[in-house]
Order: sequence, then C-alpha cells, then structure tokens
Amino acid sequence: MGTISRLSEMLASKQISCTELTKKYLEEIEKANKSLNAYVAVTEEQALQTAKVVDEKIAQGKKLSPLEGIPMTLKDNISTKGIETTCCSKILTGYKPIYNATVWDILKKQNAVLLGKTNMDEFAMGSSCETSCFGGATNPHNTEHCAGGSSGGVASAVGGNIAAYGLGSDTGGSIRQPASFCGIVGLKPTYGAVSRYGLIAYASSFDQIGPIATSVEDAALVYDAISLYDEKDSTSRGNVNGSTFDTLNNDIKGMKIGIAREYLDGVRDDVKNAILEAAKVYEGMGAEIVYFDLPALKYALPVYYILACAEASSNLGRYDGIRYGYKTEHYESIHEMMCKTRSEGFGKEVQRRILLGTYVLSAGYYDAYYKKAQNLRGAIVKAFDNAFESCDVILAPTVPMTAFKMGHAVSDPIETYLTDICTVPINIAGLPAVSIPCGFNANGMPIGMQLIGNKFKEAQILNAAYKYQQSQPDKFKATKWGVQL
Amino acid sequence: MITREDIENIALLSKLYVPEEELDALTQEMQNIISFADTINNAAEDGTEFDNINNLSNAFREDEVVPSYSNEDILRNAPDSAQDHFLVKKRA
Repeated sequence: MGTISRLSEMLASKQISCTELTKKYLEEIEKANKSLNAYVAVTEEQALQTAKVVDEKIAQGKKLSPLEGIPMTLKDNISTKGIETTCCSKILTGYKPIYNATVWDILKKQNAVLLGKTNMDEFAMGSSCETSCFGGATNPHNTEHCAGGSSGGVASAVGGNIAAYGLGSDTGGSIRQPASFCGIVGLKPTYGAVSRYGLIAYASSFDQIGPIATSVEDAALVYDAISLYDEKDSTSRGNVNGSTFDTLNNDIKGMKIGIAREYLDGVRDDVKNAILEAAKVYEGMGAEIVYFDLPALKYALPVYYILACAEASSNLGRYDGIRYGYKTEHYESIHEMMCKTRSEGFGKEVQRRILLGTYVLSAGYYDAYYKKAQNLRGAIVKAFDNAFESCDVILAPTVPMTAFKMGHAVSDPIETYLTDICTVPINIAGLPAVSIPCGFNANGMPIGMQLIGNKFKEAQILNAAYKYQQSQPDKFKATKWGVQL
Repeated sequence: MITREDIENIALLSKLYVPEEELDALTQEMQNIISFADTINNAAEDGTEFDNINNLSNAFREDEVVPSYSNEDILRNAPDSAQDHFLVKKRA
C-alpha cells in the first residue's frame, strides 16, 4: 500500500487525527530542512487550518476523498493565492499570486494539506536545483549529493518523508530526473493532460505539471485527481482515458516493451546494467522485449535547448519591474530601470538562456536555428510515432548517471545540459513518462528508469511501473529522514 | 562565430546589462553553446512540419462578460502604484 492510502486509512480509522499528522510532518520539516533545504517556505498556519476542517469531517463520520487530509507540497512555480510564489528567483521575491493554479484549486477543494512551497532551480532552469536563489536542495540518500532538478525540493521533501507527495513541473526532465536521483517515483504526463494554468511559464510548449511520490500507486492517485480538462488552459485536454489507478495491477503478459539502442549509448555502466536487469524482470513477467533504433534522438538535446530557450526568452519578457516582483532602486530612464531590474533580478543561468533564446529568434539566425529545430521536432515526434507501432511502452534510463555531488553541476553549462539527454526527447514529443527506481550504484545512490508511453497512455506506463514495483520492493528503499510510518 | 558585439546586441534586445568585465567570458560561453546547437545543421531536412503537440486548433468561446480581478488585486504586487495605476518614472 502506498504512503497516501496508508495515511488515509490511519485518518479514517482514527489512529491519528489530521492535526496530529500535520504537526508530525511540520516537526520533521523543522528538523530535516536544515540539511535537505527542500522547503523555501512553510505554510504552517494554512496547513493546520485545513487539518482542522478534515478533523471536523472525520468527527461527523463523513467519508474522506483519497487525497483529503494528506500533507503535501508544491514546487515554488505553482501559483498559490496569497502565498509567496517565487520560482526561487530574486526577481519574484515577495510576489503573492492573486489566483491559484488550477492544480492547486483542485487539490485545495479536496482538503489537501499544503505544508509549504519547495525549492527549485530558478525558473526551472537547471538540473541540480542549485540555480535556486535559496541554494540547492540536497539528496536524502546522501546530503553531499544534489537532489537533482529542477524540482529538486519536491523530490528531496518526498524522498526525505517530509511530504507525502508533491507536484513538480517537467519541461525537459524536471520531475523525472530529481525523482530518479532521490530514488522515488515521478510522472511527467502527456502534454495537455494536466492544466498549466497558474504554472509560471518557462517553455510553454514543453511544460507539464505532474506528481512526485514514493510509490507508483500514489503517483497514479494524484495524476487521476489533477488530470482534468481546464478551459483556462487552451492546450488542456485532460485525462481522456479514465482512471490509471484502477488498472495498475493488470497483467502485463504479452506487453511489448521497447528499448531504443541509442538510449543506452553513453550511459554509465551501472545505469545501463540496471536497465538491462529491469528488462529481464519484465521478461520474467511475460512481457516481450523488442530492440529498435531511434536515430532522431541524436538531435534531441540541441533541439530542446534552442526551442525551450526561445520560448523562455519570450515568456520571461514579462519581468519588467513594473507589475510585480523586484525593482531596481536607482535609474534614470525606463530602459535603464528594466535592464537593471532584470540583470539584478535574474541569476546567471536564466540570463544565459534568455540570451540564447533571443539569439536564435533574432533576424538572420531564425531560419538556421529556430525554424530548423522546429522541423526536427516534427521528425522526433514522427520517430516516436513509428516506434509505438512496434511496442507498447519504451524502457530507458532516466539519467545517464546517478546524483552528482553538490557544486558539480554549476561549473560547466554544456556538461550539465548533456545530463538531460534521456529526458528531453519525451517533452519534445509531448509523451508521458514515469521514472521509477531500479537499483543503487556502488555508493548507494539510486538509479532510475523511465517507462515511456504513447500519448495519453499514462495507464499503460503506470501499470508496467506498478508491476515492477510489486516484484522489486527493495529498489524502493525509504530514507532515514522525516516521518517514518 | 559569435563576437562581443553580438553579445552586446543580444543583451540590448533582451534588456539585460552585461558588465564589461564579464563580456569576454560570456562570449566564449555563448560560442560553446551555439557550437553545440550547430550540430542540428548536420541533420537532413525531411520536410516534417511541426505546429503543436496534439494538433489542437484554436478554442473559441462565446464572448461573455465574466467577473474579473479588481484594480486593487491587480496592483497588489506592483513595486510602485498610485491612483489605481502602475507607476513608472516620468521620462525627462
């Protein structure tokens, strides 16, 4: 049974009240956050208010919905009305949204207990959480290592048991990579399955919100709850195929699991071996492993960085020091005010991506970079379409390595970009993918694998993920931190 | 090849100041990133068009008046405001 179901049962059977449970989490945050740096803001007052409402419902004998009363967290780029939402950037310090993101509206209505907002790479630009203006979140398996990024705070909090689950966002791997580094489960849904309304934009044609949890069934429960059509997001489709939770335990005999040879190139040996071991586990369950080539993957990284930065340069144009956030103190003209505000307010990585995005969109370079990359995006979409004609699910590493040491990622931007090689193709093609733990390296750091599905086939990848989890429970090892159930 | 002037020009378009002492290092860094991006020019064009992920077309709805935010709400996060307006410095 997953963490959410277990807590829900404890609440319903009155083993613990929601207020007691919430206080327990708040106490553990107080203790663990000094080391993990997962939370950038704790919302104690609101959390206890919601807990009280849930306790009243329990006292009245009312039935709780699956996520009701469960202590959770949100990445700090998901808008929360009246609660500071900073994207971990100096430029948004003090910003309190006047509306909720749709995902938070949905969960709030179900009395989800928000413990606080969690750390992230500034504007979700990074792979180690260290571009955050609050410093990086650390890995609960070993705090000398980073939690990954960009949703590093959510992964650190969930892996460190100081939140039962959390919502992150994934533009090029930002849910799956930290989930992989922290030995937990992260689902990046199909583009359009979950509303982006209220998610502070990085690259709008790639961004998706999704759950980070300690088990596959928890990720499925949360995904089912948040994947609703939303008229406020013009790209919203919602979950068109119904519950993923109900089909988790379906037999996977005969399921065709594909492995793209390119996905194993340049991957560290311990990671590669863990993936091949997982393939054997699936074979043992009666699934069929099929190998195929996906040459279009070669261009995925530059395509991603060109298009994502182009979109970012446009999306981040809104930070001008006039309507919200940070504003420089001394200036003579409006131009100077905006330039100083943006240069002082944005960190180095964000500025680098704005500059790159502006470059590839500028006259003379647009055709060579932006247009060409869009064309290749179409080719990558088509290559995945073809792949799914010969298999149901694709198995791949989530990251070519395990969590790097704190400070390692900041030194060389391109080397850091290369670590996203396995995750970005999924965002380019708008596909769903779940990362689950599949082993540990010699130093005890978790290794993650992705199960990638065709569009809106979340049920199928979560089914395959759940079956693996059932057969390999020792890969889903809880850390010493936080609330121990 | 990216030059210092290119970086200065892009920075101007991006409304960012690059301090003089950081310009050389940034030019080199951007050159490395652009060389990495240049690898896409080795890819064969296959004429695949890309518009959007789920082949969505524009979603239209009736133009109805619905409640919106008050001026007070909209101005709540502004660094400077006065008389129901955002405040910016008067140009000389």
